[in-house]
Amino acid sequence: MSAAPEGEEGTERVLGADGRFHVADEAVRLSVYAWEDWITLAVFWILAVVVFYQVFTRYVLNDAAGWTEEIARYLLIAVTFLGGAMAVRRSTHIQVDFVYRFIPRAAGRVMATFVDAVRIGFFGYAVWLTWLLIDRIGNQRMAVIELPIGLVFGAMLIGFALMFGRSLQVACKHWRQGYSALERPEYGDTP
Amino acid sequence: MTAVLLVGFLVLMLAGVPVALAMIVASLAYVMISGTVPDFVVIHRMYGGIDSFPLLAVPFFILAGNLMNSAGITNRIYNFALALVGWLKGGLGHVNIVGSMIFAGMSGTAIADAAGLGTIEIKAMKDHGYPLDFSVGVTAASATLGPIIPPSLPFVIYGMMAGVSIGQLFLAGVIPGIVMGLFMMATVTWYAYRRNYGRDATFSWSALARTGADAFLAMMTPVILLGGMTFGVFTPTEGAIIASAYALVLGLAWYRTLNWRMLAKISMDTIETTATVLFIVAAASIFGWLLTVTRVTDAVAAWVLSFTHTPWVFLLLANVLMLVVGCFLEPVAAITLLVPILVPICQKLGIDLVHFGLVMVLNLMIGLLHPPLGTVLFVLSRTAKLSVERTTMAILPWLVPLFAALIVCTYIPEIVLWLPKHSAAMTEAVGNFFK
Repeated sequence: MSAAPEGEEGTERVLGADGRFHVADEAVRLSVYAWEDWITLAVFWILAVVVFYQVFTRYVLNDAAGWTEEIARYLLIAVTFLGGAMAVRRSTHIQVDFVYRFIPRAAGRVMATFVDAVRIGFFGYAVWLTWLLIDRIGNQRMAVIELPIGLVFGAMLIGFALMFGRSLQVACKHWRQGYSALERPEYGDTP
Repeated sequence: MTAVLLVGFLVLMLAGVPVALAMIVASLAYVMISGTVPDFVVIHRMYGGIDSFPLLAVPFFILAGNLMNSAGITNRIYNFALALVGWLKGGLGHVNIVGSMIFAGMSGTAIADAAGLGTIEIKAMKDHGYPLDFSVGVTAASATLGPIIPPSLPFVIYGMMAGVSIGQLFLAGVIPGIVMGLFMMATVTWYAYRRNYGRDATFSWSALARTGADAFLAMMTPVILLGGMTFGVFTPTEGAIIASAYALVLGLAWYRTLNWRMLAKISMDTIETTATVLFIVAAASIFGWLLTVTRVTDAVAAWVLSFTHTPWVFLLLANVLMLVVGCFLEPVAAITLLVPILVPICQKLGIDLVHFGLVMVLNLMIGLLHPPLGTVLFVLSRTAKLSVERTTMAILPWLVPLFAALIVCTYIPEIVLWLPKHSAAMTEAVGNFFK
């Protein structure tokens, strides 16, 4: 939402002379989203339909469908890990950047590069660890549904792999432009 | 050994590694060095940490809040708030607070409130000749209401981590939220008389009725949510799902303020917030578990209990600690760290965990505005194009009503606990009625 129509800032009043509010919606830009975000979006809306179906069966049909609760939990896990890739690409994972306000620019650059290295290292290792996890207990069955639990770990694996790839890409970008969202929150990676 | 865990976490977090990653990497380092469990257990713990049905409330409260945050609904609610309190001295200041209170009943975060609604509130106040520092101050203060008045994201996370009923926590936030609103309106009135601010509307019953009717369906969201939870008709998770469905129908079919492109954008925003919040919850489940098994939490509890056994002294110290943590850390991250450490002490001292949850979230909200590091402070300084120093000075006086509310809520638990206590009786009454 924006307080005034884009362009002529200051000319349009939010609270008009007619004594009513005239807030306008900001133009939507969908080009900032990458292909994996649209996959996550699909998973998210499947989740929404499943949970709504559950509430519907409980209140209207008085007989909650048992499989919905379990599936919903797994879909939420998938949304978290797949959506994590969006947060890595746009540097919106919750981070603490106040130290950067008190140290010189060069020191900030070194520290931000270290942060990129930690991210890449961890996500890479996490892919391997999740692979091990699938190897060990991936064949166990889910509680209600007759499917291997490895499917859920598989979604986590894909999520970690995407986060690994995007953290590499973002690190290159930081290297080229000479700053990251930590050093300049206002010109961060969020377009 | 435990130093790896604690120092590692602190160093990584302060260096700017995302908080969730700092927790996991420190935990992973500890597990690898100590060799007690194979290291892929860390991933399994993360999975276990978010494999929970109550957590489904997180995406759907975010979704409902985002769906309601469209221009069409904002205009309706602000027009109503203007008719309701715009005729008071310092009119738009009151409108700002009442508007935020109504939105707080639909959304569960403070930072989003400050960034989205804040821009509009500050612009409207500027148009009507209010000084920028007053507008920024009242906007910052009223943003803290978001997570106190249910629904509330921080309460969902606290309830899950501390093993407390999320419904009870939601109800506990209602009266403190109203108390905070009234304290802030008193502050606006004080400013209005001191600086001789005028009124921004004339009162008329017909305007109130007209704008009220216009905003009625949107304002039913908090009513349905609160009513449903007070009378035990549905759980918070179900409430979140029902509210989302309701907001979707309202936006797409009734008000027609939404289109498909906007819906896609809203879904993306919801996914992003959900992922960042739940990633922290997943990370905290391994980190918190290690804090417990390495007996760090026991040591902290023993240390605190070695110099005080009085609940009110502990609450005072806890308040100070939480205020400090709150200005460095995002609320959800702070909760996941503070709960494993402070909740065992509360249990030993017999402090009600619902009461403590409200006090914790309120502290963390104040921390968001706390100079010199609060997050909301920076968001508003950016949106209002006001220097950080001037924003700090603008917000400073507004800490008075907030601290007053904090003291009241900390030391008069009845204010917090009255509604949750009586909701059981109300649930029973409703049950008998339908029999």
